[in-house]
Amino acid sequence: MMSMLKLLGAALIVLAGAMIGHIKARRLADRPAQIRRFIRVLQQLETEIAYGFTPLPEAMHKLAQQTAEPLASLFAGIAAKLSSGSGMTVKESWEQSVTERWPYTAMQEGEQDILFQLGSSLGTTDREDQLKHLRLASSQLGSMESEAAEEQRRFEKMWRSLGVLGGALIVVMMY
Amino acid sequence: MLDGIFRILPHILAKLIAGLPMDISRALEEIRIRENRPLEIIYGDQYRFVSVEGELLERPERAYCPNKDVCIKLIDLLSNHSLYTMEEELRRGFITVRGGHRVGIAGKVVLEKGAIRHIRDITCFNIRIARELPGIGIPVLPYLLDPSAYSVHQTLIVSPPQQGKTTLLRDLARLISYGRLKMVFPWQGLKVAIVDERSELAACMDGVPSFDMGPRTDVLDACPKAEGMMMMIRSMSPDVIVVDEIGREQDANSIHEAMYAGIRVIATAHGRDVEDILRKPVLRELIAQQLFTRIVVLGKRSRMSSSIDVFDGAGRRLLLPETV
Repeated sequence: MMSMLKLLGAALIVLAGAMIGHIKARRLADRPAQIRRFIRVLQQLETEIAYGFTPLPEAMHKLAQQTAEPLASLFAGIAAKLSSGSGMTVKESWEQSVTERWPYTAMQEGEQDILFQLGSSLGTTDREDQLKHLRLASSQLGSMESEAAEEQRRFEKMWRSLGVLGGALIVVMMY
Repeated sequence: MLDGIFRILPHILAKLIAGLPMDISRALEEIRIRENRPLEIIYGDQYRFVSVEGELLERPERAYCPNKDVCIKLIDLLSNHSLYTMEEELRRGFITVRGGHRVGIAGKVVLEKGAIRHIRDITCFNIRIARELPGIGIPVLPYLLDPSAYSVHQTLIVSPPQQGKTTLLRDLARLISYGRLKMVFPWQGLKVAIVDERSELAACMDGVPSFDMGPRTDVLDACPKAEGMMMMIRSMSPDVIVVDEIGREQDANSIHEAMYAGIRVIATAHGRDVEDILRKPVLRELIAQQLFTRIVVLGKRSRMSSSIDVFDGAGRRLLLPETV
């Protein structure tokens, strides 16, 4: 009986270790994917600004509808703040929404800084200047993406096996 | 009336303007914001600077100076967070906001092949508060009636700037469009076409007039007058065409065209009196041909009131100057 319980506990510990490893690996894999998606969103925004002359609140609303979570609610938040008539500027709404939704994304500080920089110039200059800023942000995110992909390649497998092995190590030490 | 203004003002400016005494905010005409220079308001015939505490000062020394941050916020808010959609407005130098108020802007002009492309580093703002004065045209309208045609006379309104020329024109357009106004305008409403080159008459936002222009009124927004009048004649079959500030050669051609098509025209022109506008070749010709059968002259009486004179096409006075 005792040994059965012990075995069950050991299995649970190994499972928990595997889960932790899996979550870590997922975050590593999600980060480059989300950055790539963000770049695509910025390209969409570029089109809205350059060819559609869409006002920013409306453009943000469109982007929110066209992307999946967690980015969708980020843009929906910005759109809501801009059209609320509360007197918030693009910079403020952008920064607030990005900060609020950041924990739900797999992206990191480097990406956040790029977005803050973009937010401070969005909407307040002419079309060409807007495009310049969007392209700059896209290319900066691009280099972040390759960095993140490299990290994923190096550490994803490692985290997966480390999780299981760590669990196994604890079990071995307990026995 | 100032609601539309508060939507575009950054918090600190909104607070100062909201704190103005009632009698001043009711007479407020312009709010002038210049980066790092004193905040100024204009009301009645006076100007004052505003301090951080909301005091009104005659001297600029202690006045509140909006900084760059405030100016950027102001641009952000008044362009609906999207300055890039305002290229045409930037070329023309003003932005129309909700409520029909107009914000004149100045800054550094960017040229392309010698033509103005847009303005960047916008640092000077002049918020001109639009006032609708429904009924201001009622005393004048009976003199413009033409019973033989169940319509209005070909009318030219002459006035120096800031005397309510545009306000009067706007109200006339509305009254004529509504129609059935007892003895003032006893007939059915007429189809009114407005060519609003400077977006001042109807103050359109996204093509829809901010002011009540009457149920039978079509507005061609931001279109050059001469071409716009021709377009309206061809496309909208108007009874009356309303245009602001005529004076160029092409305008005269379009007015001829409209009048020959049986359309009545109500137009305005800058000038102190009839003699003054007779010095302008285009207008002189139109008046010499007696194409306008009514000429309304707005003059200045005192600070708050103005006088109105009405003449017929031959220069006979129909209405003695009367304070309105």
